[in-house]
Amino acid sequence: MASTSRGDGLTLPKVQCPNHPDAMLVEDYRAGDMICPECGLVVGDRVIDVGSEWRTFTNEKATKDPSRVGDAQNPLLNGGDLTTMISKGTGAASFDEFGNSKYQNRRTMSSSDRAMLNAFKEITTMADRINLPRNIIDRTNNLFKQVYEQKSLKGRANDAIASACLYIACRQEGVPRTFKEICAVSRISKKEIGRCFKLILKALETSVDLITTGDFMSRFCSNLGLPKQVQMAATYIARKAVEQDLVPGRSPISVAAAAIYMASQASAEKKTQKEIGDIAGVADVTIRQSYRLIYPRAADLFPPDFKFDTPVDKLPQL
Amino acid sequence: MEQNNSLPPFQGIVLPSVKGAMTPGMPIFSPMMPYGSGLTPQPVTNTNSLSLLEEQQRQQQQQASSQQAGVPGGLGQTPQLYHSQTVTTTTLPGNTPLYTATPLTPMTPITPATPASESSGIVPQLQNIVSTVNLGCKLDLKTIALRARNAEYNPKAKMWAHSSYKACCFGSENQSRLAARKYARVVQKLGFPAKFLDFKIQNMVGSCDVKFPIRLEGLVLTHQQFSSYEPELFPGLIYRMIKPRIVLLIFVSGKVVLTGAKVRGEIYEAFENIYPILKGFRKTT
Repeated sequence: MASTSRGDGLTLPKVQCPNHPDAMLVEDYRAGDMICPECGLVVGDRVIDVGSEWRTFTNEKATKDPSRVGDAQNPLLNGGDLTTMISKGTGAASFDEFGNSKYQNRRTMSSSDRAMLNAFKEITTMADRINLPRNIIDRTNNLFKQVYEQKSLKGRANDAIASACLYIACRQEGVPRTFKEICAVSRISKKEIGRCFKLILKALETSVDLITTGDFMSRFCSNLGLPKQVQMAATYIARKAVEQDLVPGRSPISVAAAAIYMASQASAEKKTQKEIGDIAGVADVTIRQSYRLIYPRAADLFPPDFKFDTPVDKLPQL
Repeated sequence: MEQNNSLPPFQGIVLPSVKGAMTPGMPIFSPMMPYGSGLTPQPVTNTNSLSLLEEQQRQQQQQASSQQAGVPGGLGQTPQLYHSQTVTTTTLPGNTPLYTATPLTPMTPITPATPASESSGIVPQLQNIVSTVNLGCKLDLKTIALRARNAEYNPKAKMWAHSSYKACCFGSENQSRLAARKYARVVQKLGFPAKFLDFKIQNMVGSCDVKFPIRLEGLVLTHQQFSSYEPELFPGLIYRMIKPRIVLLIFVSGKVVLTGAKVRGEIYEAFENIYPILKGFRKTT
């Protein structure tokens, strides 16, 4: 209700009622007038109202906020385009006599970024399939953007680069996914993802930490439905096996799978090698190989407080 | 001048003014080294034997100190070896001329005379050589395939011809040149005007065994710049040495495969470079 006649500087001409210079003018929003309350004289008219067009209540329909115009901006990734797109018409008037839409211009808004946006969409799709959180998706997007701008991997399929970026992001966040898990949600082969992975590390001049057996335990065990004790036992077994160098040269995934097998066979929840192999993405012969290596020292490998359902000497020997 | 064992700063050089002994056999090699300016990784020598390498280091040290008083930034222009050696105690009084290197010339690569205590008695065996030769004329492969016989050559060297001009040959060294000549002869006899131009060896592969198991995880941690170890992708560690430009595949068992060499000496040199590093990552159990 403040009168706009009080400007910031004294140079602004003060709008005031000629008869009542001290009177505070009242703004009438609906008519756009400024009215003197003393005598009712309309002092200023056609005052532009800068308030909002409609009322918004933030609780209801949070997705459709009418006071926002346009999509949320993604300045980090897109370079902030402010272009306008004409959408497809909805009413009957937007189609001409043959049924084609009259206004056909849905031109690309920024062709240079189009590939990048497609890749982001693909990344989000892939990440959704394995329920990756938003922070990994953001990291992946950033990596992709860096790689894309560098153009050193320009010839490679964008999907391959996106998959490799996803792999690297998971690794950098400390929750690595195996290549096979990434393959499962991507159309690219493991070989190509591996190649792109190495190229990206070189291009961005970064490196990633080595994977360990413990990184995968919680995921594999919960996918198998194993209780926490078994998971902890398997983690312990795998760690000890690696420390004692019982499994030189074996991939950490295989060792983890073998440890899970041993722990589950010693507990009430026995899982077969095939089941574990399906979850972990290793062949059951591989599990057998690694199991044979850790079997001789099984008694040392179990944690001290483990409750055996099947004692150590009755563990299956393959 | 830094005297600590910690990793040197990015452009910095670990000046070998440390008097104390470093961990024997454990080269401190900065992973922060700028990519591509790295030179051959150098071993730590605990011995007091003054090798050529140490002499040259001292030269650089003197030069460095004459330049800038050891400020790391100032030394960024003359890429130096990362040697964390315990170089010693005895300074050679004045008989090492100052190494005059202009800031822009990279230091000449040092091939150290390996101190006696460090030399490995192992020599990599060459497994394969790939070379190309330009026969200078179009070859009709069908005719050659029908009429040439490979049995009369050294069976370890076989040839394979492109349809125009060049031929590749696999096999062992020195025999490959011979084999290429023989092949050119055969092609000549078949009626093509073959010439023997540009015989060039493209690639040489060697392999050897260090006879002890290796801790690959440790190696990849310290030599991140050069190593790539992805057990999911390949069971061996891929080490890309910059000087000489060789790729080594290092396995847990201790077997090493070296490839990418153009001359035999590069294979030997690369192996001599990597051997002390591998000794530092020997598995103790």
